[in-house]
Amino acid sequence: MQNFFQALVSGAAVGMIYAVIAFGYQLTFATSKTLNFGQGEALMLGGLVGLTVSSYTGYWIMLPIVMAFGLLQGSVVELLGVRQAIKIKSEAGWIMATIALGIIFLNLAENIWGRDDLKFPSPLSEQPLSFKGVNILPMEVLVVIGAVLLMIAVEVFNRKSIYGKAVVATSNDRDAAGLMGINTSAIITFSYALSSMAAAFAGVLVAPVTLTGATMGSALGLKAFAVAIIGGLSSGMGVIVGGLLLGVIETMTGLYFSTGYKDVPGLILLLLVLSFKPSGLFGKSTIKKV
Amino acid sequence: MNIRRFILLLTASTFLTGVSHAADPIKVGLSGPFTGGSSSMGVSMRDGVKLAVDEINKAGGVLGRPIQLVERDDEAKNEVGVQVAQELINKEQVVATLGFINTGVSLASQRFYQEAEIPVFNNVSTGSVITKQFLPPDHKNNYIFRNGANDTIQSAMIVEEAIGRQGFKKPAILSDSTNYGQLGRADIETALAAKGVKPVAVEKFNVKDTDMTAQILRAKEAGADVILTYAIGPELAQIANGMAKLGWKVPLIGSWTLSMASYIDTAGVNGEGALMPQTFIQVPNTPKRASFISAYQKMFNVDRMPSPVSAAQGYDSVYLLVAAIKQAGSTKGPKIREALENLNEKVEGVVTIYDKPFSPTDHEAISGNIPVFGIVKGGKVIPAHPEDIAGDKAVRIKPKA
Repeated sequence: MQNFFQALVSGAAVGMIYAVIAFGYQLTFATSKTLNFGQGEALMLGGLVGLTVSSYTGYWIMLPIVMAFGLLQGSVVELLGVRQAIKIKSEAGWIMATIALGIIFLNLAENIWGRDDLKFPSPLSEQPLSFKGVNILPMEVLVVIGAVLLMIAVEVFNRKSIYGKAVVATSNDRDAAGLMGINTSAIITFSYALSSMAAAFAGVLVAPVTLTGATMGSALGLKAFAVAIIGGLSSGMGVIVGGLLLGVIETMTGLYFSTGYKDVPGLILLLLVLSFKPSGLFGKSTIKKV
Repeated sequence: MNIRRFILLLTASTFLTGVSHAADPIKVGLSGPFTGGSSSMGVSMRDGVKLAVDEINKAGGVLGRPIQLVERDDEAKNEVGVQVAQELINKEQVVATLGFINTGVSLASQRFYQEAEIPVFNNVSTGSVITKQFLPPDHKNNYIFRNGANDTIQSAMIVEEAIGRQGFKKPAILSDSTNYGQLGRADIETALAAKGVKPVAVEKFNVKDTDMTAQILRAKEAGADVILTYAIGPELAQIANGMAKLGWKVPLIGSWTLSMASYIDTAGVNGEGALMPQTFIQVPNTPKRASFISAYQKMFNVDRMPSPVSAAQGYDSVYLLVAAIKQAGSTKGPKIREALENLNEKVEGVVTIYDKPFSPTDHEAISGNIPVFGIVKGGKVIPAHPEDIAGDKAVRIKPKA
């Protein structure tokens, strides 16, 4: 039973990492119906920039700097890769463009930081906390708290501030929002900036638990994409539940079935969701008018 | 008139190249990953090779000609390795190639050398099958040589250390899902079966997996008293860190990759005490080793070699090749191969003294008695059992066939 709870806790910690990256996918999808497939690379850049900056400033002062960097990086992705595709109403242009930018960022990082995995000094003690025999690292607790705080902050911003309301309006109906005088293309740039900021923040949160390196984002970005699909691209609750679900299922399969098949049930769940509820477990089904 | 002039030119040019040939350097290829995850091994190997070539050239070269290295980065990628092989063979026309860190790159590249009848020295790759791809009688001659400890040797040593020497009863195997991990796991299971032991748990993970909770809990649940590993640095570090997190510690014994800097540095205190087979440990216990270590430190301005095993094996591979070229009196591939298979000169290397290391049917210079166990202590690898390399056991020599 103790092992069960241990797997539950570890799976949940991993799941929250997936959730916060998946949250980034949602932000851009809401406003522009496009996704940044370079989300994993945004996370990686956040982690590596954070590593360099924190050697000068320490961990806590580094956080806002990395988030500012994420905002900038996201805007660049939107301006270079997505804006043109949206303008000409291209169905797939943004997919190739965001993937291409992701590869460029990966190569850039390999040339600046090298290809070895680096250790990110942990700001908290590396001694595990123990509750009735179930262990968790202080850093993992920070990942969970940080992820939830970030999501709450973005939600509050959207609901309470005038800029946030413009974002919500653009999500609901882009054309109507435009007619009401909202600069929707600036809102879309902003949503990309927010999305990369979430990814960069996730990068510096997970880096002390995993390792930091040019390829750290590739596997995580893909898992998070699965989470976004399972939870639904339009539901904030969905990514948290989806992330926890995938993280816990992976660890439980590993523990009770076989570590060789750890990733399979999560992917089966993905297939089931796609066949029976394509908008995700918590997604609102949308009718596309043609 | 024109034809006559042409013939004259042709003769003149042949004559000229013939003359310049005597002073021409001997080109030797060097292929390894100098960037990327395996680069600490690749760069150490390259530096070992460079050191040896530098010494030989200072002493007048071989056959009166200096050695010129043609270095190429294979990036640990099979397809890049193939391109490098073709370039070295066809464009650079090397007389032999040294290198390869990754078993996959070895297997993909070496058939081109085999076809071109140019000897290849695998000085780091460990896959058991590497030297056995082109064995006679199926092939006329085998051009693939190795001077490193292969996986069959390493897995037998791991099992002997864990079960035989330390008396553990319930081993769990943790390996990654790559060729390296899975071939190594199979070798360990075979070696365990020979001792009549069945692993209590056999677990797998992917490269880049960050959470090892499930694998470690299963090993713990099964009552494992030791963990045997076949994986590479970063994931090995995740295992050590994962065990520390779960507050469960049993010894880690595994393949030589537990000596990788990426394991030692990222696991930190959690990684202390891991045991792995090593052909060379950075300890100056013979005059040859002492001079090698100090020359390496001076030439590359480092204190801790990133991968001492790779450096030493790279260094030795050059001396073996040079001895063969000297004996053959030629730089022709078949002649060099023949000389290697019947080497008269005893070659004193860093790892061992090579006394007829190869035969037409055996292309492995390192035998099971040569490597010893290293242990991670204070952020570096030191001998695990100092008595194993004490006194006249410092240099361990391959037994005669």
